[in-house]
Amino acid sequence: MAKLISIRELKIDIPKEAKILAERMLSDLEKSKRPVLEAVKTSLDNSYYNPKVGYLQAGEKRVRTELNVSSVQKLARVVFMLEILLRNLDIGSVNTKRELYYISKGLIKGNPRLRPLDFDDQPESDTIIDFIGDMLQVYREELNCFANDRGGQTYSQNLVVTETMNDGDKATIDLSTLGTAPFQPKNKPQSLKLKAKKKIDFALVIESEGTANTLQSMGFTKRNNAILIGAQGVPSNAVRGWCKLIEDELSVPMYFFGDLDAYTMQNIFRTLKAGSAASLIRNADFSAPEVKFLGVLPEDVKKYDLPYYKVKESDPAEARALKKAKDALENDPFFLDKKNKGLSDILRWLLKEKIRCEQQSLFSVDPNDPIKMEKIILEKIKKGNYV
Amino acid sequence: MSNKITKSSTAEYFSKNLQQVGFSSPLKAVLTTLKESVDNSLDACEQAGILPEIEVQVQRVGQGSSKNTDLVKITVEDNGPGIDPDDLAKVFGEYLASSKFGRGQCSRGQQGIGISAATTWAQLTNAKGAFVMSKTKNMKKAVRGQVDVDIKSNTGIFRNRESVDWDKKSGVRVEFTIDGRVQLNGDGGLITYLEGTVLVNPHLTLKYKLLENDWAHVERVTSTVPEIPEATLPHPHTFKLGEFITHSTLYGKISLDKFLKTGFSRISDQSLKDFVGKGLPKGLLSQPVTSLKEDAFKKVFQAVQDTELMAPSTKSVMTVGEDALSKSIQRLGEVDFFSVVTRKPAICDFKPVVVEVALARFINRNQEADDSVQLLRFANRVPLQFDKSGCAITWAIESVNWKSYGLQQPKGSLPLGPYVFAVSLTSPFIKFKNASKETIDASEELVEEIRRALMQAGQKLSRHIKKEFKEADLERKLAHIEQFGPILVETLVRITKSPESRKAKAEEGLRKLLGRDSKEAIADLEEAESRLQKQKSREAKRLGLSDDEDGEGGGGRRSEAEVDVIGEEIAQQAAVATKAGTKKTTGPVSTKKEAGTKKK
Repeated sequence: MAKLISIRELKIDIPKEAKILAERMLSDLEKSKRPVLEAVKTSLDNSYYNPKVGYLQAGEKRVRTELNVSSVQKLARVVFMLEILLRNLDIGSVNTKRELYYISKGLIKGNPRLRPLDFDDQPESDTIIDFIGDMLQVYREELNCFANDRGGQTYSQNLVVTETMNDGDKATIDLSTLGTAPFQPKNKPQSLKLKAKKKIDFALVIESEGTANTLQSMGFTKRNNAILIGAQGVPSNAVRGWCKLIEDELSVPMYFFGDLDAYTMQNIFRTLKAGSAASLIRNADFSAPEVKFLGVLPEDVKKYDLPYYKVKESDPAEARALKKAKDALENDPFFLDKKNKGLSDILRWLLKEKIRCEQQSLFSVDPNDPIKMEKIILEKIKKGNYV
Repeated sequence: MSNKITKSSTAEYFSKNLQQVGFSSPLKAVLTTLKESVDNSLDACEQAGILPEIEVQVQRVGQGSSKNTDLVKITVEDNGPGIDPDDLAKVFGEYLASSKFGRGQCSRGQQGIGISAATTWAQLTNAKGAFVMSKTKNMKKAVRGQVDVDIKSNTGIFRNRESVDWDKKSGVRVEFTIDGRVQLNGDGGLITYLEGTVLVNPHLTLKYKLLENDWAHVERVTSTVPEIPEATLPHPHTFKLGEFITHSTLYGKISLDKFLKTGFSRISDQSLKDFVGKGLPKGLLSQPVTSLKEDAFKKVFQAVQDTELMAPSTKSVMTVGEDALSKSIQRLGEVDFFSVVTRKPAICDFKPVVVEVALARFINRNQEADDSVQLLRFANRVPLQFDKSGCAITWAIESVNWKSYGLQQPKGSLPLGPYVFAVSLTSPFIKFKNASKETIDASEELVEEIRRALMQAGQKLSRHIKKEFKEADLERKLAHIEQFGPILVETLVRITKSPESRKAKAEEGLRKLLGRDSKEAIADLEEAESRLQKQKSREAKRLGLSDDEDGEGGGGRRSEAEVDVIGEEIAQQAAVATKAGTKKTTGPVSTKKEAGTKKK
C-alpha cells in the first residue's frame, strides 16, 4: 500500500524511533535497571504562549513513568499498543481509537496469556494511545489513528479543494457545485490543497452550525466573496486544522462570530485561535492564530439593544464556567499575554456583568429583515469592529 | 382541686397525643411497648442490685381492630424486685407517677410516661390495658390482674386482682395485647432493639422468642450490676430564667443564698460574693425566695450567668466500660475485628457526659460492602431507633473523615461496609429533640466530644483495615509481576527483533527489579501486622484472655503511652479534616474541647 500523505514534515521516523525506545527498555531490563518512559506533560501548567507564533506550546515538564510493581501494567500496555500501531504504520492501515480498543480486545481474546492487559473500557486504551503520542511527540494521525470529523461545514462560491487520497489519486471539489450541501473537511488538512477562483475577501466562522446554514440559505456566499464555516461548538481537530490551512494557503482575514459568554471565549474561541493544553504537541498545525473575535462584543449588546440574560450562578454548569474564566485570567498564558488583552478584557467584563448574550440575538434587531444578521456582520467587518 | 385538674388533663393529653411518645405507627407501637417494658425491668433490677434475667415474647395472635394491623401480644418478664401490689395501678396506669422525674440520674426512664402510654395504647386499640403479675421477696404468692388507665382522672385501676403461685423469688411479668405490626430487622426492628440492649447491658441475660422464630438465649458476660451514681444537682448555667424561677418554688420559703447553694451544684460562699460583684443586690441574698418578684429574679439570674463557675462534677455519669463492651459485642455475632473506646467523662454545655463507642466488623451479618454501616445509637443505654438524621451521634459520625481509617465514605455521609457502629451517650441530663426521645440534640460541644471518641475508635479499627489493605496490596503487586512482566519483555523482544537469549536475560533483570519492590511491600505488611498484634494483645489483656508480662493491673485502662499516641493521631486527623474542609461542625477542632473543659 502506498505511504500515507504526511501531515507535516515529520523530523522523526516513527518506527525507527519506537524501536530505539524498545531497545533502550530491553537493555535496561537486562542490566536490572529500571526503564523510564517520558512524555510531554500536556496540561495548562506546562503551556506557554509565544505571541509571535500565536499558539500554546509545550514547556519543559515531562511525565515520567518508571518501572515498578505498580507501573508494570501500564508499561506492558504501552508496548502492547505500540506494537499494534507500528503494525498499522507498516501495512498502511488506519483506525479510530474505538477500533483500536476492539483490535486489542481481539488480540487478547486470541491469546489467553495477554488477558491481564485487557482494557475494561475505551478510556483506558485511549489513555495509553495518547501517552504514546505524547511520548514520541507525534500526532495520533501520524500513528494512523484518526478521529471522526465533527464540524467545519464549509460554504463558498469561489473555493476549490484538491484532495490527495491514500492511494495517491486526486479529487477536485469545487464548492460552488455542491448546491446547498456543505464541504466537510477531513481531519487530514495537509492532504488538501486550496485554490481561490476569485479573490476571497474573508472567512467567517460561526459558532452555531444552524446559524451558518441559515446565512448560507439566505445567500450569504452569493453576495459575498467569502468562505463560511460552521464550527459546531468547540472546534474539533478537523476544524482547527482546516482553519489553519485556509489562513496559510489563502491568507484571507478570518473572523469568528459566536455567543458572548465565558464558555465561548475560553473553550471555543481560544481553542480555535491558539489550540488547547491537551494538544500541546499539535497546536502548531491545529490552530488559527490570525482569527479575530467579531462578536458578539460587549459593546454590541448596547449598540444593537440585544436581549441578554443573567448567568444563573445556581446552575452548576454556568457556575463552573465562571470559575474557569476566573482561573483562566489568573493562569492561562493565552489570556495573560498582553497581545490578547482585548480578549481578556471581554472575559473580565463577563465576570463582572455576569450576563450572556447569544449570537442568535442579532435576529431580534430587525425581525422583518431576514438578512439583518448578515448586514450587521458586514458592517462590523467594514468598520473594524472586532477584537 | 388544681392538682386534680392537672392530673386528668395529663392522661387525656397523652391519650390524644400518643404519637408524641412513640406510638405514631403500628410498627412503632410494638417497638415502643417492648422498649418501655424492658427499660422498666432493667432500671428496677439495677436499683435493687439484681442481675437482670429478662424473658421477651412477641406473638401475632390475630387481626388488629384497626386497618392493616395485627393483634400483637408482647410479654416481658423479669427477675427484678417486683412491685408492691398497691403500687401496680400507679406504675402502669398513671402518667408522671415516676420515682425518677428530673432526679439528675443516668436511669433509662426519666419522666414516667412511657409504660402508661403503652397501657393506654392497649386500651385504645384492644379495650384492655396491661396484664401484670408481680411478686416481691416478702410475698408468698404473686398478685396478678389487669391495669387500666382512667383517662379522665389520670389514675390507674387494678381489676380482677387474684393471688397465684409463682415459682420465682420476685419479679414482674407484664403483657400487652395491642394493634400493631412487627418488624424484626432494620433501623426500627425488634431484633435491632434487642441486640442494642444486649450490647450496652453486658450484665443482662436475655431470652427472647419473636414470632415463629426459636427461642434465643443470650447469656450475661459480666456479673457486676452497674452502680448508678448518686444524683447530681443541676448546674445553674444550664438554666433559663423561667426554669430558674420554677426551680425555686420546689424549695419553699428559704432564703435566696440557701436556695442557690442547695438547689444547684458548684455554688459556694465565694460564688455568692462573686454574684454580688456581678451586680446581684446584696440585700436580696437573705430574703426568702417566695417573696422575690420577677425583676429581682432576673437580676439574680443575670448575675449568676455572668459569673464564672466551676464546671459541674462528672461523678454522676456512668459507663459500660471498654472491657465489658469488648465482651458484650461478641454476643451480637461472630466478630471479625472490633474496637471500643470509653472516653473520660467530659462537660458539654455544662452537663457531664460520657461517650462510648464500639466499632466492629462481623462475619456473616448480611451486610453488603456498599451499604452504610449499621448504626446503633444509645442514650443512657436505651437504643434510639428513629430519626437518626438530626441526631448528634449521626452528625459526629458524618463529620469524621473515615477514609483516613481505611473505610469508604461518600462525602458527608455515614461510611460504608459490613460494620456495626455503636455509639452510647450517658448523662443525667440528655437533651432530646422530641418527647419520644429518638434524637439527641446536636450541640457543637457534644458533637465534638462524640467525634473525638469516634476518631479514637477509628484509629484502632484502622490497624485491622490497614493490615488487610497491605495484604491485598502485596498480593496485587506479586500478581502484577507474574502477569505483566513476561508480556512486557516478550513484546519488547518482538519489536526489537531480538534473539531469545536476550529475553531470558531481561526477564531475570525484571524479576530482580520487581522483587525489590515486593520485598518493600512485604516489609510494609509486616509492620502493619506488628502494630495490629500489639493492639490485639492489649485487647486480649483487657478481655482477660491472656496474661501478659505486665498483666498485673489486668483489665486496666489504656497505658498513658497509648493515649498519647492516639491523641497525636487525632490531632493530625483534625488538622487534615480542617484543611480538607470535610467537617460539618465549625471552628477549630483541636481547641474546642479545651475550651469546653476550661470554662469554670
